Order: sequence, then C-alpha cells, then structure tokens
Amino acid sequence: MESALFYILSAVTVTGTAFAITEKHAVHAIVYLVTSFFALAVIFFLLGAPVVAIFEVIIYAGAIMVLFLFVIMMLDLGHPERARLPGIREWWPALALGTVTLASALALVVSRAPAISAPGKAIGVKEFALALFGKYGVAVEVISMQLLFALVGALYLARKR
Amino acid sequence: MSPIALDIAIHLAKIALIFFVVLTLAAYLVFAERRILAWIQDRKGPNRVGPFGLLQPLADLIKLLTKEDFRPAGADKWLFYLAPAMAAIPAILTFAVIPFGAPLQLFGREVPLQVADLNVGLLFFLALSSIAVYGVALGGWASNSKYALLGSIRGLAQLISYELSMGLSLVPTVMLAGSLRLSDIVGAQEGIWFIVYQPLAFAIFLISIAAECKRIPFDIPEAEGELVAGFHTEYSGMRFGLFFVGEYINIIVLGGLATTFFLGGWHGPWLPPFAWFSVKTLAFAFFFIWMRGTLPRLRYDQLMHLGWKVLTPLALVNILVTGWILMLR
Amino acid sequence: MLGAYLPILVLVAIAVIFGLCSLVFSSLIGQKKPSVVKLAPYECGCEPVGSARERFSVKFYIIAMLFILFDIEAVFLYPWSVLFKRLGMFGVMEMGVFIVILFVGYIYVWKKGALEWE
Repeated sequence: MESALFYILSAVTVTGTAFAITEKHAVHAIVYLVTSFFALAVIFFLLGAPVVAIFEVIIYAGAIMVLFLFVIMMLDLGHPERARLPGIREWWPALALGTVTLASALALVVSRAPAISAPGKAIGVKEFALALFGKYGVAVEVISMQLLFALVGALYLARKR
Repeated sequence: MSPIALDIAIHLAKIALIFFVVLTLAAYLVFAERRILAWIQDRKGPNRVGPFGLLQPLADLIKLLTKEDFRPAGADKWLFYLAPAMAAIPAILTFAVIPFGAPLQLFGREVPLQVADLNVGLLFFLALSSIAVYGVALGGWASNSKYALLGSIRGLAQLISYELSMGLSLVPTVMLAGSLRLSDIVGAQEGIWFIVYQPLAFAIFLISIAAECKRIPFDIPEAEGELVAGFHTEYSGMRFGLFFVGEYINIIVLGGLATTFFLGGWHGPWLPPFAWFSVKTLAFAFFFIWMRGTLPRLRYDQLMHLGWKVLTPLALVNILVTGWILMLR
Repeated sequence: MLGAYLPILVLVAIAVIFGLCSLVFSSLIGQKKPSVVKLAPYECGCEPVGSARERFSVKFYIIAMLFILFDIEAVFLYPWSVLFKRLGMFGVMEMGVFIVILFVGYIYVWKKGALEWE
C-alpha cells in the first residue's frame, strides 16, 4: 500500500516538475510546480517526517510560489506567444548542472550504497525540535542572520530608482 | 463485526457527518446572515420560502445550479474552471483536525470526535490556510477582467499579511500547551481557558481571522463599491456558489479554531461537550455577521498598516514576553 | 505510519469530488446561450479598454518577500514553542537572539519606508 502510494506520488512529482519546465505559460508552470510540491510533501509524510512535509507546504507552496506568482503578474509574463527558446549561451549552465546531477545519481545506483530507509515510526515534533535547537542551535542563529541579509537585499532590489 | 471493519465504519461515519454538517451549516449561515443583517437594519429579510424562510438555502442552491455558467472571452479556461474548487476544498479539509467534542464511549472503545488527531494539527491548519490563497489569486487572474485582477492582487497581499500575524499569535498557546496536537491544546484548557492568559494573542488572532475570511471591515478584495465583486466578478452559477460557500465554511472553521485555541474547545459546565463547542463556534459566526452590520470598510493602506505595523510586531513581542514570564515562574 | 492520515486522505477525496461535482453539474444543468456581448469581461457596460493583465506596483513584491522571510521565522518558532519548557532559559535566550536579529531587520524595513502605502 505504502510503496504503491510512493510510486504514484513520485510519478506525480516528476511529471509535475517536467511540465513546469516545459510549460510556456508562466502561471500554468506555477500550478504544476505547486502540484509537484504537494506530492513531495506527502512523500515526506510517508518517510515519517510529518514536520518537514508541512513545512514544505507552508514555505514552498504557500510562500515562495506566491512570490513567484506576484512577480509573474507584476512583470506581465503571462504571454506565452512572446516567449522564445533560450539560446545555446543560456543552455550550457543548465546542461552542465544536469549532467553533474545525473552522473552522481548514476554513481549512487552503481555503487549500491545503502539507501536511507524510512524509520520505523514517524519523527515527532519534539524530537525534531530537540535536534534543531540542541545539536544545530548555532545554525539556527546563522539562519536568522541570513534572513536579515535577505531582507536588506530584497529592499535594495525594490528601491526606487 | 470485526474490529477493523468497525474502525473503518466509525471513521467513515465521522467524515460523512462532518462533511454534511459543515455544508448545511454554511448554507444556513448565509441565510442567518441575511436575516440578522435585516434585523440590524430594521428590515424583514428573506421570509417567503418555507416557514420563516427556512427553505431559502435550498432555493438558492437550485437557482445557482440552473444559472447560465459562462466563461468570459479571453479567460484562462482550466484555471477559471478550477479556481472555485481550490478556494473551497482547503476550508473543508481544515475541519479534519478540529476536536468538536469529548471522546465518546462507543461499542466498548474510545472514539475521539475528530477526523484525525495529527501530532502536527496546528501546522496542518496553517499549511491549508497558506494554500487557500491560490483560489483567490488564480480565479481573479484567470478571469481576464480588470476588477477581478485588482481584487485578486489585493486579496493575495491581504491574505499573506494576515496569515503571518495569525500564525504568530498561536505560538503562545502552543507554549502553554506544549503540543501542536489540537486535542492536547484543548486538554490543557480544562481548568482555565487560554484567553485568560493570552488576551492579546486572542485579539490578534480574532482580527487576523476576520481578515482571512475577507469579511467587513477587511473585505477589500471584493469591495463592491469600487471593484464590483472583486476576484469573483466574472463568476456565475455554482462556480460563484463554490467561492461563496467556501467563504462561509471558512467562517465556521476559523470560529471553531478560535474556540479550540482560546475558549477551551468543548470544555464547559452543565451542557454536553458537543453543545459547548457548537455554541462557541456559532458565537464567533454571529460576531462576524454583527461586525458586518456595524463597521465601515478599511482603506487599503490602513489594512496594511494594521497587519504589518501593529499586529505582527505585537505578536512577536507577545511571544518573547510569554517565554520570559513562563521561565521566571 | 499511514493509519492516522488515512481518514484525511478520505476527506480529501470527498472534498475534491464535491468540488468537481458542483462544477460539472453547474455546467451541465445551466442553460447555455452565449453571445459576443455577454462573454465580454465586465467593465461598467463599456467596451473593455486595453489588457486586463496589467503590471502593478512593486509594493506587492516587497510584501511577498517580507512574508517569506517572516514565515520562515515563524516556522522556526513552532518547534521551539513545543519544546521550550525543556530547553529552559537557554532556549529562551536562543530564540530571543533569533527574534531580535529579525526585529533589527524589521525596524530597518520600517525606517526605509517599505511598509508605507501612499
């Protein structure tokens, strides 16, 4: 039951992302991407990480994609007929990154490294919080600094010229 | 019956019960709103269909179903079709985590009156409310109408701004209860309700949910004086109906959540637990209707100021102060 | 692991069926007599002028950006609030520093006038 669900969800995730990349209409691409985030969140649930699953929805589907939607509406990008295929110059970084990712995935498969299996039971909020604020306490503070820099950067980009 | 079959039967019964009760309640809330507004404004309100107009929701349903269902020229076909469902479905789903009564003893087992008692129940609600914005945003954008687009942009900015203060105002209740599970939060209020410890958080939450429901004084996304009907200007028939019903389901659900977080959930003397929960939730619904009959609409800059300059910093300060006091105690 | 979530999946299915059914029934039952004028987007009864998908103020972009940042902060607050009794004073200080750093950013945003709507 769970593995069947997993395969269905991963199929949704992969096709959703593929459509998000190939879709020419920017708003439709967002809808596809949100769908794939949802499927991904349910996969996290299945892996026994309900907290991460919910954060995936709150932050990625609920906040970052909303920003994308605003930007697409703001820049008036909803005109697929004006879109053009990117030139070679824009393709090669994507190709290089894609090759690296594929190669490392292949290396993983070939080396038969033990995959991380789902824990027997779901990780609760308490265990999650204990690890986050105990073991990774410094990282949390660093993240707050990072958010501060992002804030300043966002204001700089949106300043009146 | 085998235990597993019994389990499944109980679950399905609860889901069906919740689904139909919530939908019926939403339909009657529309009717109640019209009657109460009429009463506030010294008119009669709908009183022709059935005794006291009680069959009015049914007449409305038939009317909505038989209306012409058209799509304006230049609209985005699929998004225009699906947006109303995107608005209504998250509201229904949120009800899954609300405990609406004390656990019952049925067939020799304890049955919690709640569809699913998630250990991340509060986050589940926040996640659903964070994706509920897509119905408004995409519906208005897909309509290819200027009023609809303006309404959806305003709505999007308003919903995300108040989502923030709504989420932050709940942190102190979690600190008091020590759990994100809604049944634990209710359980922690057996003696004293959290509204006593956290009146400020309650006020912030109440204002924020009024904004999340897009109710007067926060109904700027659909301000009929300036934007015709805002993001659902171009909608007709049952698609409009879904937007409408979603909004009223949202009122009931958010009222239920305010009850759960601050008013002790189903706790209360004399009356049975389920009755207490219903009374408190409907009191919130009545409060929203009353507000609509009393208050004027805010201006957009006032709305943003209230959200970003008053509620959000207050909620953050409230969290720190609560933490400090709980540590010193 | 799936047990607790199965009822929610059922409710999701029912809600989706309800949503789609009302959409389908509405388009099946309702009459259909479209005409060019009827299908024109509403614009006070006049002919629509220009495109409905206009550019709009950069203000909204700032609001969305601020929302992401503070939402991430809030997301850190929930696990902390569950555990904060066990983390004790150390936890309060930890979160205090976290919130104060972001508050500095918040004051900067305020002083820069990004929260003003004129």
